[in-house]
Amino acid sequence: MSEPNEDLQMKSQQKDFWELWGKRKTWDEIQPGELRPTVPVTLSKEMIQRYARAIGDLNPLYFDEEYAKSSPYKGLISPPTIHSYLMFACTPIEDWMREPGTINAGQSWYYNIPARPGDTIRLVCRALDKYIKKDRLFIIHDNVFYNQNNEVVCSGRGWTIRPR
Amino acid sequence: MKDPYESIEVGDEINGSEMKIDQEKIAEFAEVTLDYNPLHLDDKFMQNTSFGKTKYGGIIGHGLLNYGVIVRMMTDWLWPRGGIHRRLQTKHVKPVYPGDTILPVATVVEKKSTKSKRWVNFKIELKKQNGELVVVGESLAEFP
Repeated sequence: MSEPNEDLQMKSQQKDFWELWGKRKTWDEIQPGELRPTVPVTLSKEMIQRYARAIGDLNPLYFDEEYAKSSPYKGLISPPTIHSYLMFACTPIEDWMREPGTINAGQSWYYNIPARPGDTIRLVCRALDKYIKKDRLFIIHDNVFYNQNNEVVCSGRGWTIRPR
Repeated sequence: MKDPYESIEVGDEINGSEMKIDQEKIAEFAEVTLDYNPLHLDDKFMQNTSFGKTKYGGIIGHGLLNYGVIVRMMTDWLWPRGGIHRRLQTKHVKPVYPGDTILPVATVVEKKSTKSKRWVNFKIELKKQNGELVVVGESLAEFP
């Protein structure tokens, strides 16, 4: 696996999604089947716990080291939906998912094993399909997250409505 | 102890924790997911922008916050029963606005055993305080 690209990783933190408005791929230009550029991200305990608090989830599996050690997971894990963070953390700001006005129409995720603090997570993702319905431009996303041992963490599809 | 899987019956209902959504909660979710789409943060943009025939008229919450709240409900219910939450599929039918309170509900619709595991299928709904449906979906849980 390639080393995390620090420059790309810095850029994924960018808050202004307008900066590249008009430069990202449009629905016309998005090619189903073509892989999107991504960068591996190492999960910190702090990041996981900030995410868990934001969804109101104080499960001791994410916070209590002793409790988590005595569980079948044998250590702290992250909430399954940490993919919400990883999806943006692992993609650069020029990625078309950041285009202002992109609407999340639906999601499906299959969870295999939990991501853990210290894991380096890699995303393989692409548009799988695109279509027009009721005057709207849809993309079907195909996403798989792997850990540093190439085990699948979770895999899923997303449906977005494109702003242009 | 009775096998928890055997106690689960079609029609059983799970009620998750409700969450009040306000601008601060939406901004916090943007920070922890790096999803700073102006849909969620820029009220002026949302007041002035039409999405096809839809005009939201103000910022809306993240679909994935709804999703996270549903998965949390499933994990909280399954974990003490020895089950693992394996899958959630959602369709986002209405936006959530600041001031709304969201409440997830799951209903057991089906049980099935395969060669090495046992499974439960759930119908998922996320509603607002006024009963309006925000998310519909389905969920799958695994038991040994």
